[in-house]
Amino acid sequence: MEFSELIRTGRAQAELLRGPGAPPLRGTLCVTGHHLLLSPGPQATSDLWLLLLRSVDSIEKRVAGDSGTITLRCKDLRVLQLDIEGVEATLDIARSIEALSSLESVITSFPFFYRPKGLRLGDAWHFHPPEHHYKRVARETNAWRLSEVNEDFSVCPSYPRAVIVPRAVDDDALARSARFRQGGRFPVLSYHHAPSGTVLLRSSQPLTGPQKRRCAEDEELLRAVLAGARPGARGFIVDTRSAQAAKQARMTGGGTEAKAAYPGWKRLHRPMERGRPLQESFVRLVEACGDLEQSMDRWLSRLEGCRWLAHVKEALSTACLAAQGMEREGACILVHGAEGTDSTLLVTSLAQLILDPLSRTMTGFQELVEREWIQAGHPFQLRCAHSAFSHARPKHEAPTFLLFLDCVWQLGRQFPLSLEFGEGLLLALFEHAYASPFGTFLCNSEKERCLCEVRTRTHSLWSGLNQPKEQRKLRNPLYVLNPLAIWPSVEPQSLRLWQGLFLRWTRPPEPSEAAWEKVWQIVTDKEKTEGSQPTVSASEPQP
Amino acid sequence: MLPGPLDFSDTISSMASAPTSKYNSHSLENESIKRTSRDGVNWDLSEAVPRLPGETRVADKEVIYICPFNGPIKGRVYITNYRLYLRSLETLSSHWHFEADACVFQDSALILDVPLGVISRIEKMGGATSRGENSYGLDITCKDMRNLRFALKQEGHSRRDMFEILTRHAFPLAHSLPIFAFLNEEKFNVDGWLVYNPVEEYRRQGLPNHHWRITFINKCYELCDTYPSLLVVPYRASDEDLRRVATFRSRNRIPVLSWIHPENKTVIVRCSQPLVGMSGKRNKDDEKYLDVIRETNRQISKLTIYDARPNVNAVANKATGGGYESDDAYHNAELFFLDIHNIHVMRESLKKVKDIVYPNVEESHWLSSLESTHWLEHIKLVLTGAIQVADKVSSGKSSVLVHCSDGWDRTAQLTSLAMLMLDSFYRSIEGFEILVQKEWISFGHKFASRIGHGDKNHADADRSPIFLQFIDCVWQMSKQFPTAFEFNEQFLITILDHLYSCRFGTFLYNCESARERQKVTERTVSLWSLINSNKDKFKNPFYTKEINRVLYPVASMRHLELWVNYYIRWNPRIKQQQPNPVEQRYLELLALRDEYIKRLEELQLANSAKLSDPSTSPSSPSQMMPHVQTHF
Repeated sequence: MEFSELIRTGRAQAELLRGPGAPPLRGTLCVTGHHLLLSPGPQATSDLWLLLLRSVDSIEKRVAGDSGTITLRCKDLRVLQLDIEGVEATLDIARSIEALSSLESVITSFPFFYRPKGLRLGDAWHFHPPEHHYKRVARETNAWRLSEVNEDFSVCPSYPRAVIVPRAVDDDALARSARFRQGGRFPVLSYHHAPSGTVLLRSSQPLTGPQKRRCAEDEELLRAVLAGARPGARGFIVDTRSAQAAKQARMTGGGTEAKAAYPGWKRLHRPMERGRPLQESFVRLVEACGDLEQSMDRWLSRLEGCRWLAHVKEALSTACLAAQGMEREGACILVHGAEGTDSTLLVTSLAQLILDPLSRTMTGFQELVEREWIQAGHPFQLRCAHSAFSHARPKHEAPTFLLFLDCVWQLGRQFPLSLEFGEGLLLALFEHAYASPFGTFLCNSEKERCLCEVRTRTHSLWSGLNQPKEQRKLRNPLYVLNPLAIWPSVEPQSLRLWQGLFLRWTRPPEPSEAAWEKVWQIVTDKEKTEGSQPTVSASEPQP
Repeated sequence: MLPGPLDFSDTISSMASAPTSKYNSHSLENESIKRTSRDGVNWDLSEAVPRLPGETRVADKEVIYICPFNGPIKGRVYITNYRLYLRSLETLSSHWHFEADACVFQDSALILDVPLGVISRIEKMGGATSRGENSYGLDITCKDMRNLRFALKQEGHSRRDMFEILTRHAFPLAHSLPIFAFLNEEKFNVDGWLVYNPVEEYRRQGLPNHHWRITFINKCYELCDTYPSLLVVPYRASDEDLRRVATFRSRNRIPVLSWIHPENKTVIVRCSQPLVGMSGKRNKDDEKYLDVIRETNRQISKLTIYDARPNVNAVANKATGGGYESDDAYHNAELFFLDIHNIHVMRESLKKVKDIVYPNVEESHWLSSLESTHWLEHIKLVLTGAIQVADKVSSGKSSVLVHCSDGWDRTAQLTSLAMLMLDSFYRSIEGFEILVQKEWISFGHKFASRIGHGDKNHADADRSPIFLQFIDCVWQMSKQFPTAFEFNEQFLITILDHLYSCRFGTFLYNCESARERQKVTERTVSLWSLINSNKDKFKNPFYTKEINRVLYPVASMRHLELWVNYYIRWNPRIKQQQPNPVEQRYLELLALRDEYIKRLEELQLANSAKLSDPSTSPSSPSQMMPHVQTHF
């Protein structure tokens, strides 16, 4: 196998320091094609320690005397230190890790080799097809149809095969509208809000350009949206850029919907940070959280200076805006920024969580992530190529998805009973989005996933997560169905640093885990006591 | 909520929605009604004003309440000898018509229910020449992080009357009137005054034993008038020794035992500063006394002295006759300063917190504004100090002596927090009540001076939120250890509310001797009666009883938070917009848990009957400690 060329050394003796709380491990260190292994000596009883090389974000080596130290900063924000015997061995191992962790080829990545016990290939890949979502919409309204205009990904390379569009618009018109939108992302249905009979749409920016071009089919499409909604419905276009940025985009061929061309639609600008500033904010925050030297009396202003919580606030308030437009104003909402693959998805997915109780269930949320992020063409491979530790200048990296998870965590904190899943699921999604043995977050679009045969040759994360043994970590034991919209408070003092993620490896995790375990116990004890005749063996004493 | 939706309504002029905050404030006010009615308050149905037994109506008046969140609202204010109660005459429902289906708040009058005890200052605003709308009236500053403004008509004497009535009843001390607690005729089915019995509490700790005895030297408060009558001191120190030590300690507050470790027998001892003075006086008896304390646990280690103050302050205290234990005089002791600031710094810090949260929250630079108040930094220092005390004792390395200047503010914070970390008993509802009763109330934290019960002198330099700071630290701990405390946030908030309310006698007066003179336990009701007769409301459903687990909270700024649900609770914007029935779900869980435990006990009982094993009752630390019976 080609990996062997990249592996400089077979093995070395090493000691692994895993940060506070975890005891150091000693043993034989070994680099394989996808993993770093540490097998403890024969006298030790503990298991093999295993690290997916893909999850290494940055590596730092230091040699002194006849030994060396490698510091691995992982994409899940863990920092590991390896003390290795032998200078050569240290350098070789460091070089091997460097080379193997930055391989770009998708089809040689670990998910294509990962064959866990108890899971079958192809399981769960059929869980959330567009047809599924369409069925729900069709039960609620007749105004929409499932179009396969993009069956071969030629109309829009970043859209899935099938999308939901107004029934009144035919495929030819869609194709023409696609030519008028950046990357072919013509307006499609994201969510139908049955209680108010309104819809949430997303797209990319229209290519009006400096000449202020128009496209009859695109205009017709949005007209058809209003006609299909409740009578008299108006529309709001939530542009996630500032008015000025939208105007400037005309110079490079983009732009925004002209008022006159789209009667019934009104534009609102809600500038949201994206791309590099967002990535930099993430890097600064992780730096601040990991900086143990830092004099603590400046912590709060440093946290503020990172601006991460400001981004959380922006995202949640824009989502509230969209959700409120639908719920309280009975208006249809179209969300887009420029490409329509980042902040757009952030807003549409959060708005659904606020409004739709189904999306707050375990399956509903997985479906939401699958539909609004993965199938909707959020470029995971580009955005999550590196996490916060990489020294390389960020190219396309941006923690948009992490920002989404953080916002969901804030919702969960403010509504502790309303989400069926807990912090555990959000942490798992963060980890897997950046480095995973599963294929779910591979590639940038359905088209690429199709080319790489991801669906047939890798396992789905959803089948991994939905195994019974994982449930206790992922579910919220307090959950009760809340049929109402959940309006979060976005005041700065209502938003918190997500300690469970950003301080995960520096704080003693025990109390919160103990608490979680306790809650589970109480909830499941209920079932136990409600169960059949009590037996003495069932009486686990309270710790 | 919520700039998002608010901005939305700005943008779309046709939007019918009023700022959603009204909904919230409203729910908040309704909450308070529900709460009081649950507390067994009688309702005067004709007026719809709640009244406690012993509470009498004094006056009522039509006013305009200038609500910082909803704007001016016309209402009627009712003043009794206990509270100020406002009910708006307009309803707020019109703002909420589009919420009709989700709205559970049918009757939407705005209600304010404020015990007069929380009032710290009443000012007249506007004069005879005031022109602006609602610019003439009263401005009331409260001790619980809010202000109230009422606009009144300029004609007649309506403002003068209301000002006088309020002043009279909010500050009864200045008018030779009794504090309401002495008029309160509430009856509860449990008597909170029985919660704390010092002999029982010391016995629970395994005291007296071979090294520690209980002394009645202070029976009539003749040794130290701010200490309790019952003290635990080293067995080897005679009463004569104690008297001599007292001469060398500020206000005679000699070192006495607060807590003893059940296994390693190290102790936490509290006192005031030694009277070293500029000349560096020494006192052989005091030096010997500390050495006796050191020797009570047979480990050959030094005695650790934690001086809660910053080093410079301790030095400065020499100028006024105080000081700290020098290395020269106390060979077998090690002294550390904990850098906790004095009552004046804490008061100013809390004032700054109020400035940034009331009425409007400083939004644009929230975190750096919060930082500039230094409140969390003070919390961090107090917690860090307590952690050090707890760790020293728990690791068994040495006994600990804690003092500040007088030993009734920072010292109480440190000993009580360290005890909370060390002894799981204090993490139960009754255990916590005992802790407060013991380390704070009986040891003379000057509640009357720090809070200013019934006193009009709002600028008194003796006032300081030391006890609030302690409760905040407890809250921070309960956040970090969600299963370790039997009580919930509501319990802590209720304690703070009645710290000011003057409805109960619990926090009145500065020390035990004064309380005894006033016969407080006979003439007033205890706060613990209210709480213990309705415990479920204050229980944490996730509580897991763990014996002998020491809690070490993380006292890093990264892990401390502002207690939003207390400090910013009047601001409706911090609430989510929609009923979030957490409390109800928690109560359900609590019921489940109780049911489970009951089932478990039945099983164990059945099981132990078979095995004839008698030890099924829940063990308390006292049962785990060897009992040493010494007669006293």
